[in-house]
Amino acid sequence: MTEILRVDQVTKTYGKRGEKQYQALKGINFAVNSGEFVAIMGASGSGKTTLLNILSTLDKPTTGHVFINQQDNSSLNANQLADFRSKQIGFIFQDFNLLENLTNRENIALPLTLQGVPASRIDPLVDRITSRLSITQIMNKYPAEVSGGQKQRVAAARALVHEPAILLADEPTGALDSKSARELLDTMSDLNINDSITTLMVTHDPLAASFASRILFIKDGKIGEQLLKQELPRREFYHQLIEHLGAEV
Amino acid sequence: MLWKLSLTGIKSRFKDYLILFSGLVVASMIFYMFLTIAINPSFISHDVSASTDYLNFTFAFGIVLLVLITFVYLINANSLLLSMRKHDYGMFMSLGAKSRRIGLLIFLETLITGTLATIAGIILGFGLTAIVSQLLITKLNLQITHFVVIYPQAIGWTLVFFIFMFFWGAIHNVRKLTHTPIISLLKEDQKPAKLGHHPVRLAVEAVFGLLLLGAGYYILGLPLGMFLLIIPGALITIVAGTYFIFNAMCISVINFLLKRKKFSYRGLRIFTLGQLKFRLHDLTKILTIISLLFALALGAITVGLNFTTLKDLANESIYYDNIVVSSSPAVKKEVAKLHVSSEQTYHYKESRKNLYFMRDELKKQPLKDKKAYLAGHEPRYKTVNLALSQLDKPDTHANNAFSSLLGSSKKIKMVSRSGWRSLSGKRHFLSLLSVKDFEQDYPAMLKIQQLQLKENPHYINQFNESKPVFYQLISNFSSGFEFMGFFLGLAFLTMLASTLMFKVLSGAARDQIRYQMLYQIGARAQVLRTSIKNELGILFLLPAVLGILDVLFGLKLFRILLPNPYHHLWIPFTIFIVLYIGYYAITIKLYQRIVLPEQEKAKEKKQALA
Ligand SMILES: Nc1ncnc2c1ncn2[C@@H]1O[C@H](COP(=O)(O)OP(=O)(O)O)[C@@H](O)[C@H]1O
Ligand SMILES: [Mg+2]
Repeated sequence: MTEILRVDQVTKTYGKRGEKQYQALKGINFAVNSGEFVAIMGASGSGKTTLLNILSTLDKPTTGHVFINQQDNSSLNANQLADFRSKQIGFIFQDFNLLENLTNRENIALPLTLQGVPASRIDPLVDRITSRLSITQIMNKYPAEVSGGQKQRVAAARALVHEPAILLADEPTGALDSKSARELLDTMSDLNINDSITTLMVTHDPLAASFASRILFIKDGKIGEQLLKQELPRREFYHQLIEHLGAEV
Repeated sequence: MLWKLSLTGIKSRFKDYLILFSGLVVASMIFYMFLTIAINPSFISHDVSASTDYLNFTFAFGIVLLVLITFVYLINANSLLLSMRKHDYGMFMSLGAKSRRIGLLIFLETLITGTLATIAGIILGFGLTAIVSQLLITKLNLQITHFVVIYPQAIGWTLVFFIFMFFWGAIHNVRKLTHTPIISLLKEDQKPAKLGHHPVRLAVEAVFGLLLLGAGYYILGLPLGMFLLIIPGALITIVAGTYFIFNAMCISVINFLLKRKKFSYRGLRIFTLGQLKFRLHDLTKILTIISLLFALALGAITVGLNFTTLKDLANESIYYDNIVVSSSPAVKKEVAKLHVSSEQTYHYKESRKNLYFMRDELKKQPLKDKKAYLAGHEPRYKTVNLALSQLDKPDTHANNAFSSLLGSSKKIKMVSRSGWRSLSGKRHFLSLLSVKDFEQDYPAMLKIQQLQLKENPHYINQFNESKPVFYQLISNFSSGFEFMGFFLGLAFLTMLASTLMFKVLSGAARDQIRYQMLYQIGARAQVLRTSIKNELGILFLLPAVLGILDVLFGLKLFRILLPNPYHHLWIPFTIFIVLYIGYYAITIKLYQRIVLPEQEKAKEKKQALA
């Protein structure tokens, strides 16, 4: 198995020297292999978003290194980082982050046009991912005209259309009702199993986490133990997770 | 407590606030200056000549235009103020502040901001007025003894107008905010715009807009006799046409481009086009107003500068530069200072009915005159000799021209030198001068005329149509217009460009989130910058293009006043466009600073959103 992501002794301190400082991440180490679906679970304020921003190169760690596809992020300049994000990383956010001035199709096409993919190849690529995510019906609508669940699928399509090395999701179900949340998680799990999409999701929701194949727990800026799904059905993995959380308290 | 919150809120957007505030200061400064110059009695009723009536009229006209544009400007400034504070107000209310207290807060905030800006503007206006009035006085050669820069009446009216506007704006803001649900105050920025335009309707409206604009331009070209029809007709068709062009045509073009994927699927083009589409839809009314203001401002400068061509007209349409009829030492001394290039002197004797000349003298030095003819549409002048044989024939051109040089209605008689000597009657002479450079010697020549008039006020008949007097008349008239056009043009430009700037900046907070998203999916900073330049560039360009067209067609109207309204068009256009581009550049800088935050600022924002 190839290693897609490696996090090495990452710390993050907010606040400038001399001002009030706060260490949000205190030495994070872990790796994600190709084809894995990893969830990082933790309470609000535990540092999940901070970590994800660093993984996605939107933010820099105070110390430590992040490698994606064996590439050390800290060795890249601003433009290389932008290119790196546009090629290697797909994002899904809690609040969808779709551009409401563009139709759903245009939203999904954007990562490709940014990469300079020839115009004639863009629509077929968009069509492929949207039929995979069952959203072909809403392609010419604007994000404001579709439901939250559909929006998040559009966001997922945009995150995946350029075939990134890894899909990063920050509480992707946070703004969805429970039915849409279930559907999205099913889809993510399906994409992971059948299309081998390497996924890293951070969440505070045990149900969401139970769709992963491995769960890492983050608390006060540190990764504690991990929980492996192995061959368990999802429902039982969920119960095991709840028990585990109950034991923690 | 609320006051403290209010102050911290303002502090956090201090830079935006500063832009708004300085915009208001400039507006009241210009307003005060205009008013002071226009209603200052020593400016209006002075002694040089009646041509200042024109000045009076132009200033009154200017004030009307200025009130109109200031009105539009203040409404926009107010809505920027509101949009800046909306989120804070929503937050105060969600924290449980009573809406009546918030209402009071909004009211006082608007009124205090406005009043402070107005007072600052008036104080700065003293300086501006001093400078501008000095310029005006030297330019018009006015002799003004007590022009006052600090003029209580102007201060009063400026305060009344501005405070009334802010009072009104404050009430509007209070009503608007206290009648909006808190949630939409907080979330206003994320409200998705809706574009429910059917393509067919859009196309029809686009064609309609073009037709209306075409009709407007056609009307502007109608014969000037139909003046009463031209102005309202053109105004209505052009305003409506411009509106539909922004509302339908531009959006149709964008839709067309979006469908051409070979074009649109490249870099950030779909994003830029999408942004523009929604912006144009939101800003249709403002852009319509701006394009008209652009036309007014550019038109004012163009016409104003064009009035200087009237001075050339004065210079060219009269042959002799000066008339000397007195030989007093004082006059002689001044004449000696001129750079005379030629001098023709004629002697004559005056009887009760006749003026007697020596034929000899007139034959040796033929009288000259300028004759008008048309070269295309432009009037031109050529020098001709007055026919000696006609000088004493009543109702001939030569006779009339000569009589007016003499300022007398007595009969002109030609006699031989010997016959002349034997005639009785009062002896006079008429000396006609040409100088090397009229403009250079003009003040001295005016002085010579004044000296002569002091000796004998009767000479006025003779000087009435002389070049210096005509030149003075025209130059007062044209400098007034030139100054007015230039100043109004600049005032308009300042306000229209800041209106556009305010509009763009007041949406910047919303756009910031969009650029953040683009940054996240891997758009390079340079690509984002280019996209902003293109988007705002088109936003600035569209009203400018329509405004320029309006001016090009509208100048036809000035055929009445000006020999050739299109003369040297590139000068005002260049001045204006350079300034406009300056505004564009400033807007880009400010906008980029807001929407493309530094890494650090970006994180804060994300954190706040999470
Ligand atoms: N830009 C920032 N400046 C200062 N502190 C921050 C900043 N961003 C996050 N924090 C702090 O770091 C901690 C972790 O935040 P975050 O990563 O957003 O947590 P989570 O996503 O798990 O809820 C929190 O205590 C938060 O207050
Ligand atoms: Mg978070």
